[in-house]
Amino acid sequence: MTRLFDRMANAPWLFLAPALAVYAVFAIWPMIDVTLVSFQRWNGIDPTRDFVGLANYTYIFTQDPVFWTAFRNTLIWTALSLVFPPLAGLLLALALNQPLFGRATLRAVFYLPVIIAPIAVATMWRWMYDPFFGLFAQLLTNLGIGIPDFLGDPDLALYSVFIAYFWQQVGFSMVLFLAGLQSVDASLVEASQIDGAGRWNRFKHVTLPAITPTMTIVLVLSLIQSLKAFDIVYGLTGGGPSQSTQMLALWAFSQSMQVFDFGRGGAISVVLLVITVGVVIPYLRWSQRREEQLK
Amino acid sequence: MKQMIAATRRDPVLMGLWLSLLVFALIWFAPFVFIVFTSLKSSPEIMTSGAFTPPGALVTQNYATAWNRGGFDHAFFNSVFVTVIKVPLGLMIAALSAYALARMKNRWNKLVLLFIVFGTMIPFQVMLAPLFTLVNSLGLVDTYLGLILPYLAFGIPYQIFILHSFFKSVPKELSEAALIDGASHFTTFRRIFLPITLPVMAALLILDFVATWNEFAMALVILQDADKWTLPLGLMSFQGQFSNEYGQLNAAIVMTVLPAVLVYLIFQRYFVSGLTSGAVKG
Repeated sequence: MTRLFDRMANAPWLFLAPALAVYAVFAIWPMIDVTLVSFQRWNGIDPTRDFVGLANYTYIFTQDPVFWTAFRNTLIWTALSLVFPPLAGLLLALALNQPLFGRATLRAVFYLPVIIAPIAVATMWRWMYDPFFGLFAQLLTNLGIGIPDFLGDPDLALYSVFIAYFWQQVGFSMVLFLAGLQSVDASLVEASQIDGAGRWNRFKHVTLPAITPTMTIVLVLSLIQSLKAFDIVYGLTGGGPSQSTQMLALWAFSQSMQVFDFGRGGAISVVLLVITVGVVIPYLRWSQRREEQLK
Repeated sequence: MKQMIAATRRDPVLMGLWLSLLVFALIWFAPFVFIVFTSLKSSPEIMTSGAFTPPGALVTQNYATAWNRGGFDHAFFNSVFVTVIKVPLGLMIAALSAYALARMKNRWNKLVLLFIVFGTMIPFQVMLAPLFTLVNSLGLVDTYLGLILPYLAFGIPYQIFILHSFFKSVPKELSEAALIDGASHFTTFRRIFLPITLPVMAALLILDFVATWNEFAMALVILQDADKWTLPLGLMSFQGQFSNEYGQLNAAIVMTVLPAVLVYLIFQRYFVSGLTSGAVKG
């Protein structure tokens, strides 16, 4: 009995088993299953799932009126997410890396939105965008400007949602950049100061090269985060008005869970998965190579 | 601190920088002020007073009413229950795996690690429907277990990734002495590795607490019965039903958000280390 216990206490697979099992069943299997169902017709209830080949894909690519809208919105959303939060995060990090009075408090303020539930951010901003008593309605009325219908105007809604997302995400990029800035060699900064380099040159030749790896990390994480945007859109607009804020993740969800067409929903999910994996694999290879270089 | 003030005063560029940062920080903080103020005002006051006018008489009744109407007692309990079980359990099994991958002989280690790290990047938002199908086929819809298992699956990869790199950096002498003395790997893990990992564990614990507390999309598909809803679902449904009760709605927002904010304010320094130890130094 003791010997059996000893053997168990030294068996690597036993250490790995609980985590691997739950990970394989609840994270990997759904990914395989969504790929399978994307080639089938299924309403979520029937015991049988009929194989229909590429029918779901031809449908979403050629007949689904919303798919390309969602695709376009996802592209715009991703592009915005790759530019604004990282850029603002970098500027904030550079500023808050200076010896400023109260910088710990300032950092905390910018990071605070990150830890709030995205669905609560959506609820907060919906109230702030309220056309009658919301924050923006009041401020704009005081300034004597007409109140645009932030969430009701199809031309505006996507950007209104993005502003809420931006408010939440900036702190995340900022913290990563702040950590990256700690790897800037202080003696190099000093040397360049003594040599009379200005702020801009110091940034360009000392700081920037040192934080290039951080930049890659921030951009990849921002990209993945933006493809995942679900809660905030669901809570603020639910994809409306007239699909103007519809995105791939949300559209896949509504096709499956609200229209009960799991096949088409699956096909949309697979499109999004392929895009994500297309970014993740090169990134993982890059970070592995970098780690080996560091050794 | 004094040096910082002096440095700021001496340099006009820093002074300008500081002032503009202050303005931005105020803008970033303003929504919180607006929400808290609204949550303490009566409906007529909300419609007549300015957004940043402090509430006259504090209408704390908003909180009690929102709590009862929104079924927040259930939602609060469900959120606490799921979080209290899931977070420590997930961290334990992640630590066990990370130890095996870092310190035990197994020729598959590299492949297993790659397989798991892949999971840190896969968005579950893409797979909500198949997750529902799976949980449903196991008969676990509307159960705590049905929610906890997927939460574990999507939380573990990042934790294994971080803990693995930490365990790798522990000096070999420390564990080998114990192993030579005849201790098993399990004892070495429990007596030597766990104690020195506590700071990293604390960081991961807090990050995971906030992530679990805030999770919405998976709960949305797995919990159909209102009695089983967690706080984010409760808030969403409250917004749907009582969107014109501004005071109560904002009280509901404050109640949902407050636990995470408190945890953040108390454990601030762990947050940053937990978030960055993997991503940047890794």
